[in-house]
Amino acid sequence: MCGLCGVFLGESHWTDVAVGALGGARTRRHERLHRVALANRILKLYGLKLSDWQGSAYLLGSQTGQTAIVPSVAAVWPAAERLRKQSIDPLDARLIEVLEQD
Amino acid sequence: MASSNNLTPVNVLTGFLGSGKTTLLQRLLRSPRMGRTAVLINEFGEIGLDHLLVQQVDESVVLLRSGCICCSIRDDLKSALRGLLSRRERGEIPAFDRIVIETTGLADPGPILYTLLSEPVIRHHFQLGNVITTVDVVNAGLHLSRNREGIKQVAAADRLVLTKSDLAEPGRTAAVSEELTRLNPSARLWDAAQEPVDADFLLDGLPSASAPGPACYRLQNEGAGARGADAAKELRPHTESVSSMSLILDRPMDWTAFGIWLSLLLNRHGDDVLRVKGILCVEGSDTPVFINGVQHIVHPPQHLERWPTPDHRSRIVFITRGLDERRLRRSLEAFCKLRVAELSGA
Repeated sequence: MCGLCGVFLGESHWTDVAVGALGGARTRRHERLHRVALANRILKLYGLKLSDWQGSAYLLGSQTGQTAIVPSVAAVWPAAERLRKQSIDPLDARLIEVLEQD
Repeated sequence: MASSNNLTPVNVLTGFLGSGKTTLLQRLLRSPRMGRTAVLINEFGEIGLDHLLVQQVDESVVLLRSGCICCSIRDDLKSALRGLLSRRERGEIPAFDRIVIETTGLADPGPILYTLLSEPVIRHHFQLGNVITTVDVVNAGLHLSRNREGIKQVAAADRLVLTKSDLAEPGRTAAVSEELTRLNPSARLWDAAQEPVDADFLLDGLPSASAPGPACYRLQNEGAGARGADAAKELRPHTESVSSMSLILDRPMDWTAFGIWLSLLLNRHGDDVLRVKGILCVEGSDTPVFINGVQHIVHPPQHLERWPTPDHRSRIVFITRGLDERRLRRSLEAFCKLRVAELSGA
């Protein structure tokens, strides 16, 4: 998957690839929910919420009711930036401080 | 040799114009183990390739409408690879067990890697092997200064091949070697003018996140000297905007948290992250996970069978343009500490 374009590289995104190889510590469903929960730790700071959509995609929603369906966690970020009309930068000092204090 | 998973390895041979790509390819093809190798080249140059399977490809790039340049599909390459596969299956050509793609000197490796990793038929029959980049020691400064692709080719390399070092002034090879190692510490160096061709080393081998090759050690020990210092001064203005950093994390990381962080980083800064390569200690896994990315393109992560050294900490090399190392480290550490209440009922 290209993180910028949101275009599939194939059936699975690279963040999915290791799941099955981790010795079955988590099921695919469990892993997806874990991924959604972690992503929401970031997205809630921007007034957004992610949920699993049919086990095959993700539904991103804003507080004003805007939604976007995205195929992978990498595609969440450009969609989130479009909905919020602002960048979400992991190198933003304020974001890092918030996470460090959390 | 075909890989154990029956995917045919594909090596990309790149490097700037006149840096010795075809000469290296010619030497490689003399190796007995290369007898069943198909070669894709962009143009038939002055140096003839006396080999059974050599095919020319045009350089046509299909840029996806919403895409960045690194994630464009090389339509010509897609057709050539699918054509080779089809002809092999029908028995029209000798069965090959490796492909080497020699790019043009001006090629951005991004679209080539993206094509290999994205096209459904190709990714189910081929797997990307080492990316080999030739660097002309005499003209390295010129190559790296004239074109952004030169830097990208160095950053994308798994093996950096120094060429024409026998024509260089004393100390220059060491200076170029040091600068290349600064730019891409994850690549291993090999001096084509001084050492016999080692196809195993160039084409295959375990991923190395941080270990430079033997040539690098030798050249560094040799020392650059006064003329080398001049060469370094000549190179540095063209490359100083690019830096590499090696992050070491003591604790095992949550793979999902790392994936969220890296995907977020590449979304915002992918153009400036020329390379990510590393070996990760992942929670819940006794063996390491190898990651490898070029700009926005991330290879499928590999679970390695064992740790290559007794050091089981995560080690990640980033080659970036203008990103702050301390900020990057703080960000990664903050994301890796992300925790959620354990889920139930999954």
